[in-house]
Formats: sequence, C-alpha cells, structure tokens
Amino acid sequence: MTQLVLGQVLNGAIIGAMYGIIALGITLTFGITGIVNFALGEFMMIGAYATYALAERGLPYPVAVVPACLIAAAAGYLSNKAFFRFTRNNLVNGLLVSIGLISIFESAAMLLWTATPVEMHFVLPGALRVGDIGLPRMKVVVFAVIVVVIVATYLALARTWLGRAAFAYAQNPEAAMLMGVHTPRLESAVMLYSTGLAGLGGALYASLYSLEPAMGGVYVLKGMEAAILGGIGSLMGSLWGGVILGVIEGVGSIFLPTAFRDAYGLAVLVAILLFRPSGLFGDE
Amino acid sequence: MKRLMLLMAVLALTVAPAAAQDVVKIGQIEAQTGANAIYGWMSSQGTALAVDEINKAGGFKVGNKTYKLQLIALDTRGEPKEATVQLKRLVEVDQAKYIFGPFLSNVFLAVRPYAAEFNGKLLMWGGATRIHDYVGTPGNEFLMRTWNWDAGKNGFGELMVDNLVKTTGAKKIAMLFQNDQGGKVLEDIYVPMFKQKGIESRLDYFEPGTKDFSAVLAKIAAWKPDFLFPGYSDSYIYDIVRQATETGQLKKFFLVRGSLGPGLKNKDGIEEYMVYVPKYFEEAEKKDPKVAKFVKAYKDFYKRDFPYDQAPLCSSSCYDHVYMLVEAMKKAGTVDDPAAVKKALMAMTYDGMWKIRFDEKGEAVFNFDVVRLKKGGALEVQHINPN
Repeated sequence: MTQLVLGQVLNGAIIGAMYGIIALGITLTFGITGIVNFALGEFMMIGAYATYALAERGLPYPVAVVPACLIAAAAGYLSNKAFFRFTRNNLVNGLLVSIGLISIFESAAMLLWTATPVEMHFVLPGALRVGDIGLPRMKVVVFAVIVVVIVATYLALARTWLGRAAFAYAQNPEAAMLMGVHTPRLESAVMLYSTGLAGLGGALYASLYSLEPAMGGVYVLKGMEAAILGGIGSLMGSLWGGVILGVIEGVGSIFLPTAFRDAYGLAVLVAILLFRPSGLFGDE
Repeated sequence: MKRLMLLMAVLALTVAPAAAQDVVKIGQIEAQTGANAIYGWMSSQGTALAVDEINKAGGFKVGNKTYKLQLIALDTRGEPKEATVQLKRLVEVDQAKYIFGPFLSNVFLAVRPYAAEFNGKLLMWGGATRIHDYVGTPGNEFLMRTWNWDAGKNGFGELMVDNLVKTTGAKKIAMLFQNDQGGKVLEDIYVPMFKQKGIESRLDYFEPGTKDFSAVLAKIAAWKPDFLFPGYSDSYIYDIVRQATETGQLKKFFLVRGSLGPGLKNKDGIEEYMVYVPKYFEEAEKKDPKVAKFVKAYKDFYKRDFPYDQAPLCSSSCYDHVYMLVEAMKKAGTVDDPAAVKKALMAMTYDGMWKIRFDEKGEAVFNFDVVRLKKGGALEVQHINPN
C-alpha cells in the first residue's frame, strides 16, 4: 500500500505540474492585465495539435515543440488584439469572449482533425524504476520542463525590469504608464507569453496522451482550480496548486472510486478556500 | 417568358414525384466523429461503399421498376440529443423508411421512443447492445439488431469469455469501464457472466474525458488480475494500454470491443492482447475472394489504405447489410413496406462476407474471429461460428 500511495504522490505531482502550467497562464493574465482568459485551454489544444501535425510530418519532437508554441502564442496575440484587450477588468465580457473563442477554436480543430482522438508516436518510451514504482520517462521529462519554465518565469518577473514593470502595471496601470511603461505592449507581451505557455503545455501533453478537440476544457478547469488553490497572482502558487491538486486526485483515487476523481480535488479546494479565501500562497 | 416559366414549373412538379419513386432512401445516424466514433465511423464507411457499388451497377429491380439508393448519413458525434434531431429530419423531411444505426446504446435509448411512433412504417437496423432489451418485443417491431455484440445467446460476449477461460484458464479479470451508459451496459452483462463462470472480477469506472489512468491502473495492478478488460472505446484503450504497459503494471488484455490497434502499437510491452474482431482481414483477404474484392473496392473508393488496425469492425458488415436489405426488398416485392421487407429479412440467410441470418427475435447471428496478439507482434487467429 505504501508503494501504491508513494507512486501516486509522484505521479500526481507530475500530472499536477501540467495543471500548473495552465494555472501560471491564468494567474499571469488575470493577475497582471486583469483579463480573464478562460480560453487558455484552447491555446493548449492548438499547441498540442500543432506539435502532432508537425511531428507527423517528420519534424523531431523537440523541434516541433518550438513552432507549436509560437503558433499558440500567435493565436493568443491575435485574440488579444481582436477581443481580449476590450475586456480588461470586466469578468463577464472576458467570459463571453472566452466562450466564443472556445467554440471557434474547437470547431476549427474538428474540421481539421475531426473529433476522433489522434495519438502521436512515442517520444520517449519506457519507465524509470524507483523501487517498485515505475514512472514513465516522458512524464519525468515533462515535469522537469514545467518546473524549469515556472521557476524561470518567476525569476524573470522578480529580477528584470520587464517583470517589475509588469508588477507595477498590475498594481496601478495609470501610474505605470506615467512612469514610462508602454502598457499596451506589456499587455500584448503577457498575452503572448501566457498563450505560448499554454501551447507548451499542449505540446508536452501531446507526448503523453491522445488528443481530441475538446481536451482544453478539462485542463482550463484544472488550471483554474490550481490557480485559485495556489492563490491568483502567485506564480509559484500556481505550480504548488497544480501539484497539490494532482496528488489529491491520484491518492484519492486509490482509496475512493476513481469514477469521481475530479471531485476529490474540488472538495479539498473548497475546504481550503473556507480557511484561506485567497488561496494557499495568495496575499491576504 | 412567364408562360415558359409556368410550363417548366408544372413539368418539374409532375416529373419530381416520378423521379423520387425510383430512389430508396437509407438514413444513417452514427457517430462518425467523437470519442466513441470507431463503430459508427467504420459502419458509415461500409454503407457508403455498398450504396455506391449498387448504384454504379445500375441499381436494383423490384417488380418492373429499377431503383437506386440514396444514402443520407448524418454524424451524431455520439450525442443523443443530436441524434434525435437527425432522426426526426430523416423520417419527417427526407421520408427515409430504412434507418441504419445507431451503434451506441446511449444514442439508441434516446431515439427509440421517437422511432417507436413510426412502428410498422420504419425499419431501424442498429447495432447498439441495448437494442437486445427491446428487439422482438411488442411495439418495437421496427427494430432489428444487426450486430451480435456482448448480449444474447448468440452474442460474442459469452463466446469470447468461454474462449478466454478455455484457452488461458483466467481466474481474475479486472474491468475498467467508462462511467456512462456504455459502461453500465457492459457491467450488466459481464459482472454476472464472470461470476457464473467462476471468474473473480473487479470493476472500476473512469470519468469520460480521462486521459491519465495511472492511479486506477496502479490500483488494479495491486489486485494482480490475470487480464485487464479495458472498456470499449479505442480513444481510451490506446491511452490505457500504453500507460499500463509503459510502467509494466499490466501486460495482458482481454477486449470484446475496440481494435487490434492499441495492442499493435504497444506490441513490445504486452504479453497477450486478446481481441474480438468480426473478421481478421489480413488473413481473410488472402483466402476469401469476397474479402479481397471488398478490400480492393474500399481502397479504390476511399483512395486510402484499408484500416486493418482500426477494427474493420462494422465497415464490412454494414456493407453486407446494404446488399442484404436490397435482396430482402427484391424478395418482398416492395421498397415501400418496411414490415414486408423485415419479414423477408427474417426468412433469409445472406451469404456475403459473412453468413448472416436473424434469429427469431430479429438479432443477427454471424461468425467472428478471436485474434491473439503476443509480445513482439506474433498473431494467432481462431474462427468462431455460432451458426
């Protein structure tokens, strides 16, 4: 039993990191620009399908990931220019634009690939063994990449001029503008980065699971849960939120019916929010 | 000018009904896309191919008239609400009397009450397992079950389990089903069946949309089953088989649904992958000229390779079904009376790629193959004939 639980703690942490990368996008977009982008899961889907399409055309997987992220980021940039920039600090408008975009992107994917799942060739087959616990190699790589990306994002925001400008913009956009921050450009940069991150999440996802156009819906919900659990605005909180959620789901599935695994994470989220309404790492 | 237009309109009105009488419409409601599309998509392929062949050959003669077929195939995406609207369209707008599908039980349960309103005026040929509960009962004379899925005395479920016990001596089976109507259907059939045959079983459900099965697979592996019976939909089976074999947790699989594809893709990780297939085409193509002709026709029509690894499940059978329906219309001497056509169908044995007949309830009985895939890709095929 100990092996089983330990295995699910490790596995849950890896799956949770996938939630974490979407949570990071949510927290960046909302925390800095005040824009609610519920369509982030669709940018993840774009990244996943783009990786699949490029890899199936013979591009090595690590090479295919780069243009896939750029495609997702470009879609994000255009969505921002056309829609999202008009929804700043307006939750309802952001939600409406997101719902519309979800519909458009999903329909486009259905037209291109149909709703029938597709699966990429194995990128890194096999598993690493820790005692009796087997962890797929690719999952370990995915976890490492996500941790590096989240820590690098944290450092970039904490230690660079652009990061400080972003924080200033988040606190007081007018004051930031008066201090010389080009706010429209900053907003575009945040959207580009967050959707590119979602694209990266999708590219990593494609190496592990089969793809279908509706895949983004599940992940944006998990990302949202992880972001709220970690505390909206907290970068490291998004990673921790995702990891905690993944571990709860994994370990919960051992002791309780697996058919309701999504509910276990939600129950814990509600319980935590009762005591810490701003999330585990959010500001009080 | 006005007179000419009036004349053309009158001509159109008089000619149109005559032309319409020469076409027999076949409606089809199947999931051609979506997570559970494998069955519907393949059956749609076979139906369209047969319709094209029959029409290109000049149609078929009933009495003194020659008819052509018109296939109106709609994609339900496996969504019951969508299917209900589509069936309404087929029956009321297109006035189709012959409906192929559905293969999915959740879709069938949703469309059945509406279809039953046309009992006697409609013939619904579906493969859904839940049809077993209704076919041959009063008020459901419009139904025929074209696929001997799991349920029923001639269903391959029982025959497959018998084969499993006889050939492997399996004592413990773990089932992992989707938490939906399809999964519940399998639970109702297999839990008592395993118990009756002295096999210990456990059942776990997963949420539709699940992609990561590691937690439930670890739980199942700790129970040490002889075989894992992983649901019924390729879209999940690919992920399940990959994740189970990648970590070496589970290596033996028993499938009564789904295709050979997931086993082939993970052939180095499996020990045994036992799967029901209507016909093992790679082998049959070499031995049976009818199968070879079908595979060639498929390649020519769709301009792509034959999907050997995608469970050529229903394509070929539904291909046979179109020819069977045409034969029945000829025997019944009518294309407009579905009840008479059904009577003819019940009395015949069709000798196509399969020998297909219907039992007294209206459920199809036909032969199938059990394919065993071993580590590395070695294959063993066993032919089973319930006739």
